[in-house]
Amino acid sequence: MNTNSARAVGVAVGILVGLVIAVLLVRFSNKNNQYKTDYDERQIKVRGDAYRYAFYTVVVIEVILFLLKLGEVFIPVHDSVLHLASVLIGCIVLCVYSIWKDAYWGINNNRKRYGIVMVVCGVLNLIPVIGAFADGSMVQDGVVTGPVINLMVCVMLLLIGFELLLKHIMEKHEEQPED
Amino acid sequence: MKNLRLKSARAAKDLSQDDLAKLCGVSRQTISAIEKGDYNPTINLCIAICKALEKTLDELFWEV
Repeated sequence: MNTNSARAVGVAVGILVGLVIAVLLVRFSNKNNQYKTDYDERQIKVRGDAYRYAFYTVVVIEVILFLLKLGEVFIPVHDSVLHLASVLIGCIVLCVYSIWKDAYWGINNNRKRYGIVMVVCGVLNLIPVIGAFADGSMVQDGVVTGPVINLMVCVMLLLIGFELLLKHIMEKHEEQPED
Repeated sequence: MKNLRLKSARAAKDLSQDDLAKLCGVSRQTISAIEKGDYNPTINLCIAICKALEKTLDELFWEV
């Protein structure tokens, strides 16, 4: 097995372990200790729209990347990073749209616990970024490499956190002015 | 179109949007959206709301 194959297997195992942890964290973050987050009918409809927009976004980005590759345009970012970045941008579209339309939090979500999980995820993703900046491995041979994905995850979490905070403030102002 | 009948029926029962949402198993924002006329609920949710507020479908949702 060459170095690249070993790296790919390592990343795949990492993703699998991450998925298992994510499933356990979802259970910890739900009020009724269920794996599944419950959404009401309006939220399900909104989330359907959100998934559709996220899908279109990923398709458009991937087509653009394909055309750039076809035209042999040099992008100073590693290929694997580019494709993961398009997935992350899709996730951002999904989250931003569903937060804005009040369909992000499910009925059985414990928001405080989710907040803790998000902060922990942010910190865990920040560690490799700091490491890469410290040893100068963020850019290798003029190409941006792996840890930039961790940086993008941090930015995504910050964006989600900011929007959730904004919606929380708006909700406080809007909440039942007639009562 | 705003659903003022739903809003007044809820207020008459001294329920907040959050209370009604919990009784119907939906989010507070969904009740708010129905009252504002931003969302048309399914018949199942209409029935759940009517049961919670002890009203009929005609009283809360039928437009004359």
